[in-house]
Amino acid sequence: MRRQQAVAAAVGVVVSLLAGLMILWLQGYPAAQSYSALFSYSLFSQFALFSTLNKASTLVLTGTSAAVGFGSNCINLGQVGQFLMGAMAAAAFGIAVGLPKWLTLPLVILASIVAGAGWSLLAALMKLKWRMNEFITTLMLNFVADYFTQWLISGPMLDPRAYSPMTRMTNPQAWLGMYNGLSGSVAVAACSFAVTWLVWNRSKFGYECRVMGQNPSFAAAGGCAVPRNFVLAMLLSGALAGLAGGLMVIGGMQHRFVKGIGANYAWDGVMIAIVAGNSIAATGLYALFFAVLQTGAMGMELETAVPSEFALVLQAIVVLAVVASRESTRLFLAGLAARIRARRAIALGDARAAQAAQLAQRAEADHAAPTGGGQDEPRA
Amino acid sequence: MSRDSENGAPGIQGIRMSGIVKVYPPDVLALDNVDIMIRWGTIHSIIGENGAGKSTLMKVLYGITPASAGRIFLDGRQVRFASPRQAVREGIGMVHQELMLIRSYTVWENVVVGSEPAAPLGTLKQAEARARVEELVTRWGLNLDPDAVVGDLSVSAQQKVEILKLLYRDASVLIMDEPTAVLTPQETSELFARLRQLNQAGGTIIFISHKLQEVLDISDEITVMRKGKRVMTAANEGLSRTDLARAMVGRDVVFAVGRQRSEPSGRGGTVDVGMKPRDAGSPAARGDERPHAARPALEVRGLSFTRPGAVKPALSDVSFDVSRGEILGVAGVEGNGQFELVQCITGALKPDAGSIRMDGRDVTGASVMERRRLMCSVPQDRKHTGSAQTMSITDNAIMAHHRLRPSLSARWRALLDPRACRGFCVDLMRRYSVVAPGPDAALAQLSGGNQQKVIVGREFSHDTGFVLLDNPTRGLDVGSIEFIHRQILNKRSGGAGCLLVSADLDELLALCDRILVMYEGRVAALLDGETADREAVGRAMLGLELSPEPGPGPGSEPEPEAGAEPRTEVGSE
Repeated sequence: MRRQQAVAAAVGVVVSLLAGLMILWLQGYPAAQSYSALFSYSLFSQFALFSTLNKASTLVLTGTSAAVGFGSNCINLGQVGQFLMGAMAAAAFGIAVGLPKWLTLPLVILASIVAGAGWSLLAALMKLKWRMNEFITTLMLNFVADYFTQWLISGPMLDPRAYSPMTRMTNPQAWLGMYNGLSGSVAVAACSFAVTWLVWNRSKFGYECRVMGQNPSFAAAGGCAVPRNFVLAMLLSGALAGLAGGLMVIGGMQHRFVKGIGANYAWDGVMIAIVAGNSIAATGLYALFFAVLQTGAMGMELETAVPSEFALVLQAIVVLAVVASRESTRLFLAGLAARIRARRAIALGDARAAQAAQLAQRAEADHAAPTGGGQDEPRA
Repeated sequence: MSRDSENGAPGIQGIRMSGIVKVYPPDVLALDNVDIMIRWGTIHSIIGENGAGKSTLMKVLYGITPASAGRIFLDGRQVRFASPRQAVREGIGMVHQELMLIRSYTVWENVVVGSEPAAPLGTLKQAEARARVEELVTRWGLNLDPDAVVGDLSVSAQQKVEILKLLYRDASVLIMDEPTAVLTPQETSELFARLRQLNQAGGTIIFISHKLQEVLDISDEITVMRKGKRVMTAANEGLSRTDLARAMVGRDVVFAVGRQRSEPSGRGGTVDVGMKPRDAGSPAARGDERPHAARPALEVRGLSFTRPGAVKPALSDVSFDVSRGEILGVAGVEGNGQFELVQCITGALKPDAGSIRMDGRDVTGASVMERRRLMCSVPQDRKHTGSAQTMSITDNAIMAHHRLRPSLSARWRALLDPRACRGFCVDLMRRYSVVAPGPDAALAQLSGGNQQKVIVGREFSHDTGFVLLDNPTRGLDVGSIEFIHRQILNKRSGGAGCLLVSADLDELLALCDRILVMYEGRVAALLDGETADREAVGRAMLGLELSPEPGPGPGSEPEPEAGAEPRTEVGSE
């Protein structure tokens, strides 16, 4: 089962990379050169690798956020808003709090987690109180968060010295720091990824969430507190998205909330969770792969002038190819197995019939043939 | 070559299916080189266990399912039906097990829909259509009002509408797929009378069932299927249920189930409790002198429930006890409150009034998990409430145990110990003889019977005094049914009180100490399991008053197992 899924994923990835190659070639770009740039600028130097990891640290968080949500049957599509609220909370605390670093950093991280979780809690409560579908409310709350943060950075929190909407820079105590180009947020993301994996795959709560994701009525019949787990899963999902936003502020180069800070990370996360089939481990792998594509695309633009938006095209093809191949591989293999089985059954049936005919001929010598077909058992 | 020539002389007129193979992906061999001959003007029964391939064979004939191989001949002329519409054009019609009617339409509208007589411009010739339906109703004495809305009709009347639909389309071959599964015994005999009438008028009827007595009652010819193969075809002369049961199962089934019940040793402990009317040589013992040690496993008092928006209550003032060491059966035509009763007991529904006590503790307002400490529950719906099909067997096996069984926890109690969970599952699979690739395989990969064994095993591993069983053997093969029945009896001899809700009267009659019959949300009757027969239960199910004399009705036998399945049959050998 799991091996079949891995094969399907590998086939999907290879097929989509080949499709990308075709597209480049058809458009008249030097396809092979572009691809080699894509990978050398994302993997084959320390700087390239670290840039990829930095990018992956964000994608892994938004990805697990979506995977935890979808995997427990909470359709949280509010990663955008939770991300922004987390980033804003980190920026606000980072500006306001000037305690020693060992105190400030955890506080700021906590603030971003709480902000993200709080934003998703709104949607969870609306579902519990008024049965509003979280699929809609989380999406709508995205707009609220977007305009709210935009208002903050262009009004009350605007940096007077800036030419475009952004907050002031946070205190240096709230910076995670860079180590040879590797952001400290990679470590934080790795830790929270490990914790999420443990909770999801090993804890009782995670087990109940996974069951809830596959079959809520089975979970309810088994005594799981489905409404409570729903709220907790929403909180976890929101917290991860909020943390992703917070790390953008404390871990990046800018150390402030600038307009457009969320980029497309939230929706990429949703896409990654879908490709990964909501498995946490696979989400980690696909987050790395998407980070490779996005980082490498910049290099590709430099080398062969292929627009870096080509990464988006590749990502979309990967999603389609992997998700499609997951289902079509299963159907294809099942169909193939069925055909083989049928052929075997027919051959066996023919052999039996021939044997029965022989027996019947022999029996005719003694008795009149019995009623019924050749496969009758003598008992009747 | 031999495949074509072996079956039936060319002179015989009828439907011949030859060398039919059907594989459901990925590799379920549903039909294995089936050859069958159905002669015009006969009532031909096809019997077999669930999964023997009888329905699949008929779906192939009716053009619903394409066969992997094989051919179909009508009077020697090869035909190929790509859709039911083409089969209907050749005069073949099928009444499915689940009725396919539009509930908000009237009878005549349902009958004509799909082949309406149309005037120019595509308008419906209403009067003509209705008249034709009415004419058919009178001709066949179907006792239906063409203008009645189908949703208001009983299931048996709806079945008549289905038959009417086929008559309207001039079907001369009726395929009836387990038509009696949804009927009471009385309704069944009415259906049989109707089928005979159609047959005498020249119709050919293919009757699918797994109930032996019914088949012997109605058929001219009988075909037995087993595991996708046709095992035998014979004229219905001198055949006994034992013959058929043996052919169906492929061996002499010794059903401990029927035996154990009558052995006093099997239920020695329970007799002392003095709860069963038949044991009560002293009826006074029945409630007055109940020992304190044996508190009832379940006490239900005055349970009432009305669905929001519904006019009629689903449950009204239902009271009963299940004592320890007893199996109390719940019978009733589907939709008479059994579903709501079960839901109230599991905690999925909050009753409007009344109380539920388990082992003496009031659980009326308790959560599902609190109840789980006192009860285990095998749900009716294996796929929707009993399991998560896409998850592993282990994940399915530990449900509720993951909170209640400390040995599954890791050192840190919020976490599960994966090795312990796996071990628990392996042990469960061994004890309940689950055939599976391994504990990590997805549950969906298992056969229905093995899935149900996982579920029953999981629930029975809870050491509780009360066991709720909601149709625990629905849709299973005889072997699995036998196994699960034995497990239920083990639970009872272990001192647990069982509430067995079942749509299968034979199951109730074979296992239960007492049978409670529900009708329109009330307790219509509480019968003794030993003396009750199908007739009595059936009358109570229909809401008729119980007659004091147990006069055997038409087609029934004195023994309680009348019209029974093989397990009861062979057990009495």
